[in-house]
Amino acid sequence: MSNGNDNNNSFKKIIKNGLINKNPILVSGMVIAPVIVLANNFNDAVMLVAAFSLITFFTLLISSFVPKSIVYTIRIILYTLIGAVVYVPSVMLLEYLMPEGVEAIGIFFPLFITNSFIVTRSESIFFLETKGKMILDIIFCIIGYDAAVLIFSAVREILASGTIGGKITGMPSSFRVFEHPFGGFILLGLFAALFRSILLLIKRVQK
Amino acid sequence: MLKNIILTAFTAVFAENIIFSGALGTSTLIIVSRSRKNLLGFGLSVTYITALMSVLTYFINQALSFDEKSYIYTPLVYIIILGAVYILTLLCMWRFAPAMFGRMKKYIHISAFNCAVLGSLFLISERCNTLGEYFIHGIGMGLGFVLAVYLTAIVYDRLYSEKAPYSFRGYPLLLVYIGILSMAFWGLSGYTLKF
Repeated sequence: MSNGNDNNNSFKKIIKNGLINKNPILVSGMVIAPVIVLANNFNDAVMLVAAFSLITFFTLLISSFVPKSIVYTIRIILYTLIGAVVYVPSVMLLEYLMPEGVEAIGIFFPLFITNSFIVTRSESIFFLETKGKMILDIIFCIIGYDAAVLIFSAVREILASGTIGGKITGMPSSFRVFEHPFGGFILLGLFAALFRSILLLIKRVQK
Repeated sequence: MLKNIILTAFTAVFAENIIFSGALGTSTLIIVSRSRKNLLGFGLSVTYITALMSVLTYFINQALSFDEKSYIYTPLVYIIILGAVYILTLLCMWRFAPAMFGRMKKYIHISAFNCAVLGSLFLISERCNTLGEYFIHGIGMGLGFVLAVYLTAIVYDRLYSEKAPYSFRGYPLLLVYIGILSMAFWGLSGYTLKF
């Protein structure tokens, strides 16, 4: 009985960490370069999360089979090599489905091969007790990343041009500064601060 | 000739700074700027890898230029060569400079496998034509990354200080700080905001 409860708590913790407590974008600062540069409109952000999710999920999944007995110096090369191999079918698939989208994200697509999930976070993920927990952790980290990027890009596009997905929202805002990387940095900083404030508020209310 | 070299290097370090104009390697910057202790060693290794890889990239691009679809497997080729450079560098350090190897082995993988290095190679491939341009841009982008890490590391303690409001302390403030610096660097390249 207690084992069942422990498992439930453990799964809840993994889900909560991926989505909220260790949200890759809003808390941990992982894979933020494409968000700063490209997530200034919702359409490109959709493409971005599709490319990120495909490469990260399959690379981490395959990399988890790399034996831990191999020294880290070599393992890190193998992880990125696997990423580069996964990139090939990913780019072909997305080019088939959304050819303009692939062009829009340009060099950021292959850059997902060396994203900080694969290079730095992978080790802590792979040392989770079971494959099930590991896969769950990867999935919820990716969902946490994707959700944050989509919300961030929608708000950024509204602020920058008053549109969302290219469609006019009727909002009179046109702070073009948010289209640029520096605007992206500042807005993401404000988002991260707001997210932390909300979490703090929720904790206080729960207490 | 010298004027061109200086101009290209200046552009790569300042006007087209890899972090402040393209945000490439920001996650790595966040990790590395935590400690000023190994900053010089890290900076040198990033610059060494981008410079060496930029030269090798020139030859790789020449060899693959016949194939229109080469962009699909070019990253794989870059990673294989980068992996070889990384192992050879580690072996040379271990053999000829064991003390340095001991100090740098903890973080040399971050200096080789990150978006700043791989991103530099893609940007250089788009912007440069001659071997000389590849090399100077490679060094410039490495130095530009080091400059960005240094500018972040020197204020790191203040950004994470207890005096900063809790909601902004650390990571959020770091992003705002990089954003303000980024705006200044864009200004340096002649960009003006249109309101």
